[in-house]
Amino acid sequence: MAAWLLGVQTLRIQPYQLPPLGPHDVKVSIKALGICGSDVHHFKTMRCANFIVKKPMVIGHECAGIIEAIGSEVKNLAPGDRVALEPGISCSRCNLCKNGRYNLCREMRFFGSPPTNGSLANKVVHPASLCYKLPENVSLEEGAMCEPLSVGVHACRRAQVGPETTVLILGAGPIGLITLLAARAFGAPRVVMTDVDESRLAIAKSLGADELIQVSTEMKDASEEVVNVQTAMGSGIDVTFDCVGYNKTMTTALNATRSGGKVCLIGLALSEMTIPLTPAAAREVDVIGIFRYRNTWPLCLDFLKTGKIDVKPLITHRFKFTQEDVDAAFETSARGGNAIKCMFNL
Amino acid sequence: MGSQGDAKNGGEENMAAWLVAVNTLKIQPFELPSLGPHDVRVRMKAVGICGSDVHYLKTLRCAHFVVEEPMVIGHECAGIIEEIGSEVTHLVPGDRVALEPGISCWRCSYCKQGSYNLCPEMKFFATPPVHGSLANQVVHPADLCFKLPDDISLEEGAMCEPLSVGVHACRRANVGPETNVLIMGAGPIGLVALLAARAFGAPRVVIVDVDEFRLSVAKDLGASETVQVSTKAEDVAGEVDLIKKAMGEAVDITLDCAGFTKTMTTALNVTRPGGKVCLVGMGHNEMTVPLTPAAAREVDVVGVFRYKNTWPLCIDFLRSGKIDVKPLITHRFGFSQKEVEDAFETSARGGSAIKVMFNL
Repeated sequence: MAAWLLGVQTLRIQPYQLPPLGPHDVKVSIKALGICGSDVHHFKTMRCANFIVKKPMVIGHECAGIIEAIGSEVKNLAPGDRVALEPGISCSRCNLCKNGRYNLCREMRFFGSPPTNGSLANKVVHPASLCYKLPENVSLEEGAMCEPLSVGVHACRRAQVGPETTVLILGAGPIGLITLLAARAFGAPRVVMTDVDESRLAIAKSLGADELIQVSTEMKDASEEVVNVQTAMGSGIDVTFDCVGYNKTMTTALNATRSGGKVCLIGLALSEMTIPLTPAAAREVDVIGIFRYRNTWPLCLDFLKTGKIDVKPLITHRFKFTQEDVDAAFETSARGGNAIKCMFNL
Repeated sequence: MGSQGDAKNGGEENMAAWLVAVNTLKIQPFELPSLGPHDVRVRMKAVGICGSDVHYLKTLRCAHFVVEEPMVIGHECAGIIEEIGSEVTHLVPGDRVALEPGISCWRCSYCKQGSYNLCPEMKFFATPPVHGSLANQVVHPADLCFKLPDDISLEEGAMCEPLSVGVHACRRANVGPETNVLIMGAGPIGLVALLAARAFGAPRVVIVDVDEFRLSVAKDLGASETVQVSTKAEDVAGEVDLIKKAMGEAVDITLDCAGFTKTMTTALNVTRPGGKVCLVGMGHNEMTVPLTPAAAREVDVVGVFRYKNTWPLCIDFLRSGKIDVKPLITHRFGFSQKEVEDAFETSARGGSAIKVMFNL
């Protein structure tokens, strides 16, 4: 059985027939699955950017489970192994894949991105090479958290976060918070965070942010907020992560980051933005883009195993795999507020 | 080194082109500072006019730099060493040199990490309040004067400055033997970017502009293909298609040497996933652009501010013939009141005037 997206705001648990097990595939019994903002977006609008849901599609992609069966050529996994799943199957033949940037593959088949079925299901079939064995001390829920955590890890890599880079994070939602965890794990000496919501800032503080600044949604407050974040940082801001993606946040980011620094745009809110790009470019502030992640699971699992990152506080709500709970879970996740990560336990 | 007044300048009154008011340049005396131990005194021989010089003339400002008192104009220059400071060992009187305009502090973290172009204390010829170099003579640090090979002219030496902008952009955008490059704008900066991109080994360079003449110059200078475009926002989608056809393969790097909303929109849309857009031109301050879809394809936007450590490479490109800047020098003027006025008028006109050069 799986949770199928049939129409706007309509999810139904229905039978889901699995494809046959290929020689390099594994069959996984899904045990933990988190809801992502993109899942909610597909749920509410039947689309997400250029992805349009044209026929019923299984939802969900942040998952972990237990191996049930392995294909004939699979050597490094066995039934019973607990694994975290990387959702996207790339083609391995195009130039982008061959140059290691497989996240940009045009033929990418990604759980829950139409038309590829997702993984909020009892079982899925998936390439073994995209299933990563969990260390003993890492739970299945933590395994499912590797997916959102990967976004933060990939962003920190692209923005070259390290022991000498001060970091500003705009937005303390689920993505802002895992970016905070990733930035600290990469050694960032100081992290300042902003949000409009006080309770989310409190969570950020408990997760290790050095300073929190509450901001508004009004563009007219931008210049003052730039001064506030720079003062809170104390020294130049080397890297800013915009985990929101609005005109105001990008404007703040471009103006607050020091010359020669980087702004990493993670939040995908608007199609077009009105921003002071030229003055920032004329200070050699570069804008780095992010699309999902690549080669991040091993590092995420290492961070979790060693305790460098603790994702457990982010899991605020738990649900079972029933029709009623599926509906409630999506409603809760869409609500935002004190709901950070809603997790299914199957 | 010498006493006050004329003796400092080798016995002549030093004259310079002063920006005294909007649209008002006057050739007037320019008293030189004394020669420090690490300085040289240079007799100016060739000075080119930059778009920023024209902007200062017309508006007395450029971005946040404001001309508050009379200032000598000009910064793209080369000349002959007249006198050297007591600690200068690598130059002698008579040497022909190209000058790098900006004196940085060498103490801040930017300078110490090699990004001296971003130094907050930068003193740059003709960026207020620092005097420029359209003068008979200037005093300048010896380490910012680069000796020209015998077969490189003083005019080519002066061209090292704009060429440096193209070279720095190619470095920041990682132009190389595997990167197909699109250049937006075939003005003086687009053209030096073209020359630099080819010198860096770019296999294919497509250049676009609204002006047919400028595109023909670009073709002569080695552009693989040219595409004439409009200034209308609604033409973006069609132009993206034309550019892709002209390139034949994916656009790896786009250098926007115009810097307008339309050119950045085109750049962000046409560059391949994982590619780079380098914003060189400073047309619009605030732009409404499709940044998010580009960021979601990992198209990065890199900025440039002037250049750093580019003169040795520029001189090498000129010496080896990998770059020929001479075709860009379209108009020449002498150093007199009337010619200074005519020169700036010609440069401001644009069109067939690419680089206007003073010969002193």
